[in-house]
Amino acid sequence: MSGTVRVADPLRLPLELDLFEGPLDLLLTLVLREEIELAELPLRDLVAATLDGDEAWDSPTTGELVLLLCSLAELKARRLVGEDDDEDFAPDPDAELVRERLAAQLIAFAPFQRAGVWLRTQDGVEGAVRYRRVPLEAGDPSLTRHAPAELADALARLMVAPPTPSLGHMNRQRVNVGEIVAELRGALRRSGQVSFDEMTNGTDRLAQGMTLIACLELARRGEAQLAQPIPFGDITVRRPSQGRAGA
Amino acid sequence: MFLSPEPLSLVRLCELTEAAPGPVQRALGELAARHDASSGLELAEIAGGWVLRTQADLGPVCDRLRARPPEERLSPAALETLAVIAYLEPISRPEIARVRGVSAEATVASLLERGMIEEAGRAQEGGAMRYRTTPAFQERFGLKGPGDLPPITHFELSGAEAEAVHQRLRDAGHLSDEVA
Repeated sequence: MSGTVRVADPLRLPLELDLFEGPLDLLLTLVLREEIELAELPLRDLVAATLDGDEAWDSPTTGELVLLLCSLAELKARRLVGEDDDEDFAPDPDAELVRERLAAQLIAFAPFQRAGVWLRTQDGVEGAVRYRRVPLEAGDPSLTRHAPAELADALARLMVAPPTPSLGHMNRQRVNVGEIVAELRGALRRSGQVSFDEMTNGTDRLAQGMTLIACLELARRGEAQLAQPIPFGDITVRRPSQGRAGA
Repeated sequence: MFLSPEPLSLVRLCELTEAAPGPVQRALGELAARHDASSGLELAEIAGGWVLRTQADLGPVCDRLRARPPEERLSPAALETLAVIAYLEPISRPEIARVRGVSAEATVASLLERGMIEEAGRAQEGGAMRYRTTPAFQERFGLKGPGDLPPITHFELSGAEAEAVHQRLRDAGHLSDEVA
């Protein structure tokens, strides 16, 4: 609910319904005088008109409205089920059908209700399960072969704190791009060109990634040229020709 | 059987005793004859197997020995739902609610938790889960197997009883004389 919360009289709420147009208090008066047939008044539309509008009610007002609508619903329900003493009141044939269906359902469900009563007489709580329910493997007879002192000694060994686990095998890998750049420069000086696959042979993904970054860095500085004839194939890192080396 | 925590089927008894079904069945008959009404024990066939158990009239003594808490008892709503499932299994929760006329969500959850019913798959992909009774249900209610229930027709209202229901509804103003 958005907007400012208003404190207003819900009875003055204007309504636009098929059967009625005007404030809510007038509708209630007409219903009580039976000038509007409550059985024909669609409560769903009334609820939608009062609560689903743009009005932003405060909590007490909303509560009052809901109470009013509930009272109307109860009044309508009483009239539909025939509790009204008015002899002129004509029962809704649909409601009669629903009531007849309910009666039929009561009769149809009666066997299961009786079966439930029969089950109660058979209920194990009253004594149907009267045999041992202890699993066979519940007891370990081997324990009885040991003296209490032996068991206590075994428990004491269990209670010794274990040594702190060694994390020595978890070496922290360090890969230095600068070192790889220097290594690449040396290789280019020596042989003029280097194969990326040969350089990274036997290294992990981190080292391979850093080597690629080093290659790109040398290419950016004009110290190397990269060639990859086949997509996803080997990358050849070459020393650039003299003319472009200083570019 | 004295040691077993659950009913033993004839096949299992044959496996355990390494004997043929005939001798085992004869032995069961002799055992049943030995534990007649004068005995404190009885041989009973429940949940698809045989058990050697305390006589029914001593059931309350067993209950006092085990001190079963009252909350283990099933409510009338739970028993009615259990009856619906036992007779119509496998049956889904919406179908149970349709038969009972009220929501069965909490009752089904409670019966599942107590191990009285279990899931029995879905009728079709995306359909509602269906439920059936368990061996624990058969044990608790002393049934020989899943179908060991009195015929549902045994519990149906007679014509006079159905008319009495209609009359009560008419007296309470819930049905008009013309319709009924």
